[in-house]
Amino acid sequence: MQELLQQVVSGIATGGIFASLALALVLIYNAMGLVNFAQGEMAMLATFVALALIDHGMNYWIAFPVTLVIAFAGGIAIERVVIRPVERAPILTLVIVTLGLATLINGLAGFIFGYVPRAFPSPFPVQTVNILGALASYQDLGVIAVSAVVLLAIYLLLQHTTVGLTMRAAAHHPEASRLLGVRVSWMLALGWGLASAVGSVSGIMVAPILLLQPNMMQTIIIYAFAAAVLGGIESPIGAVVGGVIVGVTVNLAGVYLPFVGGDLQLAVALAIIVGVLVLKPNGLFGRPSVRRV
Amino acid sequence: MALLELEEVRAGYGPTSVLHGVSLSVPEGQIVSLLGANGAGKTTTLRSITGGVQWTGDIRFAGRSLRRMHTEDVVRCGIAHVPEGRGILTELTVDENLKLGSHLRRDGAAVRKDYDRVFEYFPVLRERRRLSASTLSGGEQQMLALARAFLTKPRLMLLDEPSLGLAPLIVRSIFEIIRTINTEDQVAVLLVEQNARLALEMSSEAYVLEVGRVAVRGSSSELTGNDAVRRSYLGY
Amino acid sequence: MLTRIRNSPPRYWLVVVVILFFIGLPTVISSFQASEWAQVLVLAIAIMGLNILVGYSGQISLGHGAFMAIGAYTFAILIHRYRMNYLVAIPLAGLLTGGIGFLFGVPALRLSALYLALATFALAVVTPSLIKRPAELTGGVQGIILPPVDPPPAAGAAFTALTGTPMTSDQWIYYLTLAFALVLFWLAWNLVRHRAGRAMRAVRDGEVAAAASGVNIAGYKTLAFGISALYAGIAGALFGLAVGFVSPDTFPVSLSIQLLVGAVVGGLASIPGPLIGAIFAYFLPIESNQWVPAQTWIPSQIASTVEKAGPAVTYGVVLILIMIFAPNGVVGLVTAGYARLRRRLRGAADRENGQMPPDPQTV
Ligand SMILES: Nc1ncnc2c1ncn2[C@@H]1O[C@H](COP(=O)(O)OP(=O)(O)OP(=O)(O)O)[C@@H](O)[C@H]1O
Ligand SMILES: [Mg+2]
Repeated sequence: MQELLQQVVSGIATGGIFASLALALVLIYNAMGLVNFAQGEMAMLATFVALALIDHGMNYWIAFPVTLVIAFAGGIAIERVVIRPVERAPILTLVIVTLGLATLINGLAGFIFGYVPRAFPSPFPVQTVNILGALASYQDLGVIAVSAVVLLAIYLLLQHTTVGLTMRAAAHHPEASRLLGVRVSWMLALGWGLASAVGSVSGIMVAPILLLQPNMMQTIIIYAFAAAVLGGIESPIGAVVGGVIVGVTVNLAGVYLPFVGGDLQLAVALAIIVGVLVLKPNGLFGRPSVRRV
Repeated sequence: MALLELEEVRAGYGPTSVLHGVSLSVPEGQIVSLLGANGAGKTTTLRSITGGVQWTGDIRFAGRSLRRMHTEDVVRCGIAHVPEGRGILTELTVDENLKLGSHLRRDGAAVRKDYDRVFEYFPVLRERRRLSASTLSGGEQQMLALARAFLTKPRLMLLDEPSLGLAPLIVRSIFEIIRTINTEDQVAVLLVEQNARLALEMSSEAYVLEVGRVAVRGSSSELTGNDAVRRSYLGY
Repeated sequence: MLTRIRNSPPRYWLVVVVILFFIGLPTVISSFQASEWAQVLVLAIAIMGLNILVGYSGQISLGHGAFMAIGAYTFAILIHRYRMNYLVAIPLAGLLTGGIGFLFGVPALRLSALYLALATFALAVVTPSLIKRPAELTGGVQGIILPPVDPPPAAGAAFTALTGTPMTSDQWIYYLTLAFALVLFWLAWNLVRHRAGRAMRAVRDGEVAAAASGVNIAGYKTLAFGISALYAGIAGALFGLAVGFVSPDTFPVSLSIQLLVGAVVGGLASIPGPLIGAIFAYFLPIESNQWVPAQTWIPSQIASTVEKAGPAVTYGVVLILIMIFAPNGVVGLVTAGYARLRRRLRGAADRENGQMPPDPQTV
């Protein structure tokens, strides 16, 4: 029982990491009906930036927000330069462009930072703490806290600020929003910036565990896909709930199902993706969409 | 000088041209109605003004040409466009829809006063503030659209068939409010309507469009009095 | 026959020249280079499969490397375990992969393009770890080593007569791959010209209209998936044959990306596109690997990084630029340029003759 509780806590921590990246996916999906295949790679690049800042002597808790700001600016720049020209293109074109972006960023990171895995500092002590008889590591609790703060911040921004309101408006009804003076195209860029910043949180949180190298996010993005799909790809709350469910499920499956073990955890994510898409394409929180034919 | 002037405006959708040189003007603080059969190009005229379609010719608002301006910027000049279909953001709440109307304004006190007035005009919106706009009835959505347009503090409102699909009684009350806004705030209105009789009652001047051209133009009382015009263009 | 060829449009001549080029190629290049070109042809087959799916039926797969893996492993297991003749095992591997693809196409029907992209991408990422699991069957991390194949005596003798040197295993594999490529390209060409192809394109261009005109949408979409997987499966089998072993790391995500790059570069919905795309996608990383160390200005410590990162960067840039500037790929650019040239030439000639140019729609 204790062991189970411990695994659940560490599953929630992993889930928080997935949730940040899934939320990033949802933000862009809502802005333009697109799944950004480069989201993980963008987060990876931001994490390298964070490491560079820390290596230059910057305090972790200063480097963290600074990185988010840089990631935000980077996301906007990417949208303006790469996505804008194909904004109105068919979805297939957009998907291929983001995949190209993913490949490009992966290569660039390798080019600049090399392929040798690097240790990434964690700000949390390595000790464990006893909660209700279960041992939870500060690391896990710290990750949960950081993820929660970031997700809450995004929620407040989207639901309780004017910028958030105009972003949501632009996402749902671009034409009607334009007539109300909302700069829709700029809102898309803002969505990319925000997504990039949120996504980079997951990179920074996972790097101490996985070690930082250009392919670090390649599996995390699959878990994030699973989380976003499970939650209903347009639902921010769904992304968070989905992230936690995927995190806990994968963790428990890895520990308690001998068949799954460590190396088939990713297959569990694939099974979640395929299962949800086939059986309940709107996920847990998505609204049913109108389907042609 | 009129507040809004269209000069030989031509517009269309891709290869099909819809407007073949429309000229009209809306004087400051006046209500002007734009009438015509289905497909005459009334909606297209309004969409040209706010940059929803490509056009040539010239459109000037308060002396400034709107050529090559994006919709967002046209609207920010002080034009509120309530489009055909009302443009309600159904994913958002009533309150959020109203906030989108006032989100560009910096005069906080005046905004609060305007909200009070909106809720005085349309008490139902106050009751439904927290509800999703999709739960409103057609008439209530029209009220919301009008309220939202008013909250942008426009100098000119473009209203595309505000009576569409509404019960006569509601139409009456909505038109009353349009008139109130017009007289109290000096907001000019370009009113597109199928209900010609009602529109002519409201407006000082009227244009009748026929397949993309202005067929008739005159003061509203003139048009109401002219049996030939009434029968051949206005259908009553 | 001859007159028919003489009177046929220039592109038929082009086809003949290209085929002759590929037949003659091993006689002028080394055996090692022949094995490289065999892999180009393998890629071309797989890309043609992807092209049928994406270009002609409007569905997407970002995980076609997974189908190649299925084909390759089926082939390897049939040979290694069941001692089957490789000439029988190749088409069998293709058929089995095609069947799996067909089954995969059924749930895929329920997914929008975006979700399909997502699911197939996830599949591509997971494939290597899935392969490792049934270790007795697949050989786990080590994979399966395949016995080398010798050229059949007749082919060897013919080759020796022509070039004066004995035929190597690589050269034989090249010709075998070429034979498969020719047949599969010819089949694809027939497919897209005839009813199934037209129906698929109708589905791609608008499901509602296609349904209204009586096309069995679900049927054609799953069929496209099956055929596409069949191509990938045969390519996978030939890949195993050419490389001499199969292992989980032979089929990483980047393979699927490489296929997509090839399809996009060559041009979707075209027959020559996959070949052009394959040449590009295969030689780009190799050329960059040879080019980089030769550059003395690049410090040797970072040369290996550049070698490794170069292809990814180039692939990424190429994907983005092509999607922005030339969504129809090289073939699209060439056809557009050729059409413009011809219009200009014909216009000039007609002006001299005093004739009006014909209605462009009927050309
Ligand atoms: N998006 C569009 N694409 C192509 N043609 C259009 C489009 N919208 C309108 N049209 C055409 O333009 C012409 C004028 O349309 P418009 O909507 O301006 O007419 P209207 O006067 O507003 O008619 P109604 O009274 O029915 O609203 C019509 O013939 C219509 O078919
Ligand atoms: Mg209209």
